[in-house]
Amino acid sequence: MEETTTPDGSIVDESEIEYVSYAGEHHLPLIMRLVDEELSEPYSIFTYRYFVYLWPNLSFLAFHKGKCIGTVVSKMGEHRNTFRGYIAMLVVLKPYRHKGIATELVTRSIKVMMESGCEEVTLEAEVTNKGALALYGRLGFIRAKRLFRYYLNGVDAFRLKLLFPHPELPPSHPYSHSNTVMSSVLESYEAHELGP
Amino acid sequence: MEENINNGVEEQESANHEPTSVPVLNPSIPSGEQTVWADVASLLDSACNDLQDGELIHGDNFNLFAAMSALEIMDPKMDSGIVCRYYSVDEAIEDGAAPIPLSLNKTVDVHCMIDVMDHMLSCEATWHKGHSLAQTIFSCIYLLRPDRTSSHALLHSYCTVIRSTCNAVISAVSDSRTHEEEDLFTITSGLPLKRDGDEKCLSMLNVIEETISRQLHACKSPSHKKRSIEDIEPLQTNLDLEEGYCKAVLCRLRFRKHFYHVLVCLRRPQGRGLELARKHIASCLVELDSILKTEEFLRANNRNGMWEDGMESEDSTTASGCQPIGFDSTLNSRLSAPTPPRAIKVFCWKKAVEYFQKLLHDLDIVCSHPIDPLHEGALRFVVEFQKLQPDLVARSHLQLLLVQDGKLFGRDPIFTMICKAAAVPELAKNLDIQKNESFVHLCQLAITLLKILCTNAAWQRRQLGKVLQDWRIIHMQLEIALRKEFEESSSTSLDENLCMKIYKNILNWVEEQTYWIAFRFLILGFELELYAPSEYCMVYWYIYVILIKLGEKMHLRMITNSETAKRKGKKKRESMKDVAREPAIPPAVLLLQCQIYLAEGLTLMISALRNEHGVFQCRGPFNSEQERFIQHFELLQKACIPDHVSYYTFRDYTAHSQFDTLIMCNYFKEAQRIAKELRGSFVNDKNKLTELRHIEQVAEHNGIALNLVSRLGSLDPSLKVSFEFNHHPHFATAVVKRS
Repeated sequence: MEETTTPDGSIVDESEIEYVSYAGEHHLPLIMRLVDEELSEPYSIFTYRYFVYLWPNLSFLAFHKGKCIGTVVSKMGEHRNTFRGYIAMLVVLKPYRHKGIATELVTRSIKVMMESGCEEVTLEAEVTNKGALALYGRLGFIRAKRLFRYYLNGVDAFRLKLLFPHPELPPSHPYSHSNTVMSSVLESYEAHELGP
Repeated sequence: MEENINNGVEEQESANHEPTSVPVLNPSIPSGEQTVWADVASLLDSACNDLQDGELIHGDNFNLFAAMSALEIMDPKMDSGIVCRYYSVDEAIEDGAAPIPLSLNKTVDVHCMIDVMDHMLSCEATWHKGHSLAQTIFSCIYLLRPDRTSSHALLHSYCTVIRSTCNAVISAVSDSRTHEEEDLFTITSGLPLKRDGDEKCLSMLNVIEETISRQLHACKSPSHKKRSIEDIEPLQTNLDLEEGYCKAVLCRLRFRKHFYHVLVCLRRPQGRGLELARKHIASCLVELDSILKTEEFLRANNRNGMWEDGMESEDSTTASGCQPIGFDSTLNSRLSAPTPPRAIKVFCWKKAVEYFQKLLHDLDIVCSHPIDPLHEGALRFVVEFQKLQPDLVARSHLQLLLVQDGKLFGRDPIFTMICKAAAVPELAKNLDIQKNESFVHLCQLAITLLKILCTNAAWQRRQLGKVLQDWRIIHMQLEIALRKEFEESSSTSLDENLCMKIYKNILNWVEEQTYWIAFRFLILGFELELYAPSEYCMVYWYIYVILIKLGEKMHLRMITNSETAKRKGKKKRESMKDVAREPAIPPAVLLLQCQIYLAEGLTLMISALRNEHGVFQCRGPFNSEQERFIQHFELLQKACIPDHVSYYTFRDYTAHSQFDTLIMCNYFKEAQRIAKELRGSFVNDKNKLTELRHIEQVAEHNGIALNLVSRLGSLDPSLKVSFEFNHHPHFATAVVKRS
């Protein structure tokens, strides 16, 4: 088993990492501190509560010897006729990275989404965040879109998507579509999902 | 949803409290009819006592957007209303943040004025690059109170031309509507952008320019040091520095003048101002060079009785290296509310000058485009132009030039343009056919396509994906219209024949456009880095399939177009691959053939690597390659582009590819051979020659890699293959390394 040294000099054994589902208000400051330290976007306390109160079963925390060192915050719901999961925040403290902790956190969240009937999972990541992009790529996410200057810091984002397998649908054909109304492209407004 | 966020708290909020006697307040804001102001402090206080940790009083519509819009007051990351230095512009002015004159010492005044001009240029470039106007140009306190400057002619005229320039740029960008994701650019709420008299900005500028030219002239005359020159008052008091300061101010003023002219000329209808615009662009570039040359002088004199600043020259937003006076970027930050203020770093002065040089070069290319009514030419021009990665302002101007009043260059009706592109007989242009609803739609689609191609790559790709369906539908509608025309037709056979021809040609053209859009949609994915190496195989396969269709349609059009090819063309309807060996094939189609071979070669090489080496596979814990395929090509599949193609077609095509069979028919060699032969056909087309050279390079390298892997691959397990885009923007080159 791979070992890492934490800033205080102790050795991290991966088996010592403990994963727990969000269990109440006492977890909230832990999540907020991690996200505030590591992610670029500012979030108000309402944003955190919005997620963890509505979908506590999709939020997980990772502890090492009682210290919270990683977290994932997610949601799910109807979006344009699909039931989709959305990963809002994923953080692991620097000294604990490259140990599969983020993968474990996000995998747990995705599993719950899949079991709850989600058809797909989506999220945004900064185009410069190679680590996150590689992680999600391994999990089967594709880069569906590039969002120009998506973040407040002016950096582009990728919209990543993971489609769950579903029973084969008959291939659709535009000629059979009842809706043959032209979409007036330059008029159309693409709703932007808010994300990290 | 597992839990209700409000915990029922909101129901109780007023239940526990009797309205207590409220002290009468005397607020400055009137309460309105039938309402009074009341102090709710005690009410809130009691409500707070009832709340447990984590409880929230909220309305029904409290959603993610509402949560995200909430601010934490005094958190500098969120609270754009936070007071940084001054409460208001007036307070800043009272505090002496923007004095007029900038200094009582005339030399210092001029020096500071130049700093203001330089910092403004840096702000302007930063704005063009996507930051808000409020946080960039309008961080200038002088601009925020336009009436204050009238006593300072130089400052006043400079501020006026800046405002006019901003207005011209904003109107170009908003008129072109290319800025869908860049709408921060045109947000001007609350800013004093227009002021009576701004339309006279050029004459004001001319007057001041003339004065300073005379001052420059005067100081250059040998006798000037004796101050004997008639009635010309110098620009400033230190006569040793007079020439340097006059020059520094003049080139900055002249740059502004020519730049404003450029913007005005570009907007003349039907491209009538382009030639003049080019002259002004050339002048702008000359002035920018002069501006750069003043750096040494300004740096040498920045200690001349003025403040020093420990600024690194690389970061400086002014040529002199001094901090400009009269700017405060925090004054406007609350205009961005409720969005939190964006992190902003103003471009350094050197980078700003570089930005303007690039912008002017891009605009010069826009102006150099021949105004010819060929649709294909216009498309090709935009695509080539986009390769230079022009920014918003240049792209907007290109779009405004291309599409005016729904016509190409504001002159040629789109229907005529389509007829020409589709090689429809001349006669047709007078026919009633263009009043047909489907043709009206088609014209709209063609215009939309041109506009989309002028947008940034990220937005462009999404819009191209969306319009594919529309192009498919218009094809269907035209087919129906064609059938109807024939059933109802009672006209003479000559007309019938002509009509038939028009429809057939246009139908073919529509399909060609559709495949061209699909191709562009796919290759933009490389530019935007949307594909993982494990997905390259399916992407190249899709490109291969699309290119074959595109080649067929293009070839058919060209055959129809040329009288000589017509006779031969009817006989053969074989696939593109066999056709490629015929000598009479047009060079444009052969070029496509090269790309087809590259795409096919890459598909088979990667799939052989997958089959024999187990690399570049899409495996994940939650889904399979099929889901990735569905997601990447959803829009193409929905629109049946092309027909009868699915994940299974791809899987069957690649499931058995192996190196020993692949080496027998080396597609890369074929691509290289044709590309070499084609050089002579494009001697006058620089872009095509570049493309051919890139194709040759990719083909050559991949041919070698293919041989290497097939000879050594199974013997040497340490061989690792990766893909790079060092020779072509979307056809990858295989790199073989021993790990």
